[in-house]
Amino acid sequence: MKRLGAPGFFRCLWMIPLFFGIGVGIMAIVRYLEGWDPVWLNEVAVTTALVTIPFGFLAGIGAFDYWARYAIGQPTEPEDHSGHGARSWRDYFRVNTDHKVIGIQYIVTTFIFFLVGGLLAMIFRAELARSGSEVVDTQAFNGLVSVHASLLIFLFIVPVFAGIGNYVIPLMIGAPDMAFPRLNALSFWLLPVAGVMMLSSFLVPGGAFASGWTCYAPLCTDQPLGSVFFNMGVQWAGTSSIMTALNFLVTIITMRAPGMTFWRMPLLVWANLTTSMLVVLATPFIAGSQFFAMFDRVLHTNFFVADEGGYPLGYQHIFWFYSHPAVYIMLLPGFGIISEVISTFSRKPIFGYRLMALSLVAILFLGFSVWAHHMFIAGIAPWLRIPMMVTTLLIAVPTGIKVFSWLATMWQGRIHFKTPMLWAVGFIAMFLIGGLSGIYLGTVPVDVHASDTYYIVAHIHYVLYGGSVFTIFAGIYYWFPKMTGRMYSERLGKWHFWLTFVAFNMTFFPMHYIGLHGMPRRVADYAPQFENWNLFISISSFALGASMIIFLYNMITSWSRGPRAVANPWRAHSLEWQVSSPPPLFNFAEIPQIVGGPYEYGVPGARHAVFSDDGATKLEEVSSDAETEVRG
Amino acid sequence: MRWSQIVQLAVIAAIVGAATTAAAVLIPWLPPSASEQRDRIDFTFWLVTGISIFIFAVVVSVILFSVLKFRARPDDDTDGPPIHGNTGLEIAWTAVPALLVTVIAVAAGVVLTQNGNAGSNPLRVNVTAVQFAWSFEYANSSAKGVQATTLRLPLGRPVQLELHSKDVIHSFWVTEFGQKMDALPDTPEFPHPTHLVITPSKLGTFPIICTELCGLGHSLMRSQVIVMKPAQFDAWAKARKQA
Amino acid sequence: MEAHAAEHDHAAHPPAANASSGVDARVLGMLLFIGSEIMLFGSFFTAYFFVRVVNGYPWPPPEDHLPVFVAGVNTVILVTSSFTMHWALQSIKRGNRAGLQAGLVLTLLMGTTFLLTQIAEYARVGFAPGDNAFATIFYCLTGLHGAHVFVGLTLLLFTAIRAFRGHYSPEHHHGVELSGIYWHFVDVMWIVVYTTVYII
Repeated sequence: MKRLGAPGFFRCLWMIPLFFGIGVGIMAIVRYLEGWDPVWLNEVAVTTALVTIPFGFLAGIGAFDYWARYAIGQPTEPEDHSGHGARSWRDYFRVNTDHKVIGIQYIVTTFIFFLVGGLLAMIFRAELARSGSEVVDTQAFNGLVSVHASLLIFLFIVPVFAGIGNYVIPLMIGAPDMAFPRLNALSFWLLPVAGVMMLSSFLVPGGAFASGWTCYAPLCTDQPLGSVFFNMGVQWAGTSSIMTALNFLVTIITMRAPGMTFWRMPLLVWANLTTSMLVVLATPFIAGSQFFAMFDRVLHTNFFVADEGGYPLGYQHIFWFYSHPAVYIMLLPGFGIISEVISTFSRKPIFGYRLMALSLVAILFLGFSVWAHHMFIAGIAPWLRIPMMVTTLLIAVPTGIKVFSWLATMWQGRIHFKTPMLWAVGFIAMFLIGGLSGIYLGTVPVDVHASDTYYIVAHIHYVLYGGSVFTIFAGIYYWFPKMTGRMYSERLGKWHFWLTFVAFNMTFFPMHYIGLHGMPRRVADYAPQFENWNLFISISSFALGASMIIFLYNMITSWSRGPRAVANPWRAHSLEWQVSSPPPLFNFAEIPQIVGGPYEYGVPGARHAVFSDDGATKLEEVSSDAETEVRG
Repeated sequence: MRWSQIVQLAVIAAIVGAATTAAAVLIPWLPPSASEQRDRIDFTFWLVTGISIFIFAVVVSVILFSVLKFRARPDDDTDGPPIHGNTGLEIAWTAVPALLVTVIAVAAGVVLTQNGNAGSNPLRVNVTAVQFAWSFEYANSSAKGVQATTLRLPLGRPVQLELHSKDVIHSFWVTEFGQKMDALPDTPEFPHPTHLVITPSKLGTFPIICTELCGLGHSLMRSQVIVMKPAQFDAWAKARKQA
Repeated sequence: MEAHAAEHDHAAHPPAANASSGVDARVLGMLLFIGSEIMLFGSFFTAYFFVRVVNGYPWPPPEDHLPVFVAGVNTVILVTSSFTMHWALQSIKRGNRAGLQAGLVLTLLMGTTFLLTQIAEYARVGFAPGDNAFATIFYCLTGLHGAHVFVGLTLLLFTAIRAFRGHYSPEHHHGVELSGIYWHFVDVMWIVVYTTVYII
């Protein structure tokens, strides 16, 4: 009996039906009072379920418990911190307010969605290996490509950086946790809700949502019921994203250790700061776009219905106003990771640190001015394409600054090519290709030819896989010892990298060619001239999928019985490496004092931080940064 | 910054550049062109390619050089020189890319304007897209009033297509013509036509495909454009009108 | 480099975080959240822009009419409720518990009046959201605002309950301050919605 009242999965068993019942009850009452026939309509009931069931689940597991007590005026129990952290695997399956636990919850959950999304790709690549319909029918194919992209974007790349940031940022800035730990826990639990919702669309009549991850109106309003699972799933994932961003912003602004000015923050913190601004400002626009598409379908509104004065092109403007910043949301944290890795493994300060930080801010601002480059052939006013082309090409400048600065950091360094460094250097090369194909696409006349073809698919995957995913792997391997207290197998790590690198290029490079030659995207079937290349691409993609097995094997075996890791296996300067692996329960016994920059490799006697139990008396700031700085 | 290193770097860059150029030139990246607009698109493509080869060679050569020359021995625990930056270099790699993208933007702007120019007396064709077929109606010229499910065009005369959709968003593309544009659903009360200018420069038959996911039949939504000599076009139009 | 405090895991409490900024964390969080809410309204105003400005849809179409006067009275009520909210906050800052409670109750009453009036107007206005694009934007923009009024009232209700149960003091009144900030946002946003939908 007590289990039914205590927060946890058991309580969900009755809270979910309760919330769902209230929801459809209201639906039935409203429909009855308005005289709409029938009182129970499946489509409305399902939409109600997509709103109420997640609330029931979250209430059941206890995500709202504290606030519920607060709301009814009960004394809120002072936190005795006895429930903090994780002592067993069970602690990872409950509402946990420890940022380190939440970080791991995020990373494991998002990687599960990475695997599922990747498997979906294996299925439709099997279909595309030969022309004609072999493995799945067209509706199923459209569903597979749509869910594949949606899972990987909203349930993997965007939130995995939230997970890595969650774990590392408080440690890096010298804080005991995030500013809002309970909000943090809620942010995480929204993710499985969103992912399960998107996957459940496969089970409803009509199949999974099948209008692409972009879900353009008016197509998506006429598609089967699965479409609503995308509309709502995005809302839940977007809410999670915004909450995390709010948490990151307040934490970074208000909880830095004494002496950590903005110009002494590691670039990972800068990257998450700018990314969080992007999330807070841009994500509401995709929420709006999905509300409008869903309302047009369920409430028969006319946002995009041309007959009644709606504006079909409006969906794309509102959607892309988020979805372009989204690509920077998916990239900027990765840029931060690469800066950490390259500096540490080259044993050199980041070249041009201030310009690196400012280039992140430049991308933040410019990122809001380029959205219509996704709409060059959409029917926007022809003159609008010129300013959008200019801003799009301009954003290559701050991005280029970063690439050149990383190269200059490596120059004359003492480079150790451990697995994280392999991924970082591989990233630079792959992101370069993706970025250059982006220049082609930003050039409107070329985009007119290449848009909506496999050239776009190539570009997307070079920047998202060769770009973002490579940075994710770099970060996972880099902080694996810190998070798990064990070392991964360096040999398996290198095998993982090289197999991925080769298979990735074999899969996606030919797509540039077939796209230019006329193969459109999102087609279940294609002209005979593309047969051989598609077979080659499909086989390569299976090899790419197989490379994940090496990664998973390494992660699982190393985490359970790898050699114990020391506190600072990479001899890095940032704060997370100055505590044990894994860190103590509350990160620091005492908040350290920051006395210098985070990348002062090669400067004799340079310190980033001093701890009061250092044995030395508390140092005054060693010197101003300008004195120890060497301009090459 | 030692000069011997710069020279070695330049040599590697030259080799990478040469290999990339070979790959760019020897592989037929672009399909044959059959329109004047495609020719200008191709010119822009090669302009960007030239600049890309330069950037690619610089970046890749630095990576290769670093891998070869700056690799530390596994037991080497020392740090590298504490170089924090170089103002001149930072200005250079901000200004040069800005200049390069400006060149691209100017050239592309000119091409875009030219590719949108239908001239003084274009052939006008109304294109209607539905799930899952194309239909065409000639608004002027010898074929005025003719309706068809394939698109016949006279060689060398600019044609302005006006596109509409009757249901969802579709997209019209002929690979050899280069030009692509979405067809939007609209009504006479709230019209939203989109336009495309094509000047066919080669005789032949080319596929028309839909490039915006429009439902189940998206990959099957195809037609053909047949480019014929102007005299043959007039003859065809005359025969169609009589039928 | 040696690990610090690695062995002393039995620390019962976290160290106090350093306050690296003059601004209070919760206020900053609320302000940033309101930033995202403004962007959400922005997406709805964008839809309004496409229908009214780009499409040139008649506003309102000849067969429909907008209850400008009733909504105007409602505007006065909502603006007044911001003043009572401000009074509530100022009261508790000076230790005036009765003033806090009265201010909150008045704000709640006025806010609820606003919401119920809006709902009544929906029933009386004579067109449905599905009728045409104007009706869609009207219902959805005012409806979005109404949803935010509902959230604001819920926050105020929790604050009022806690106020009546003896919480809050001149030193600790964050709950009042934060619900107040949200309520003022709801009020200002209504003025923008009212102007764009009813007036111009």
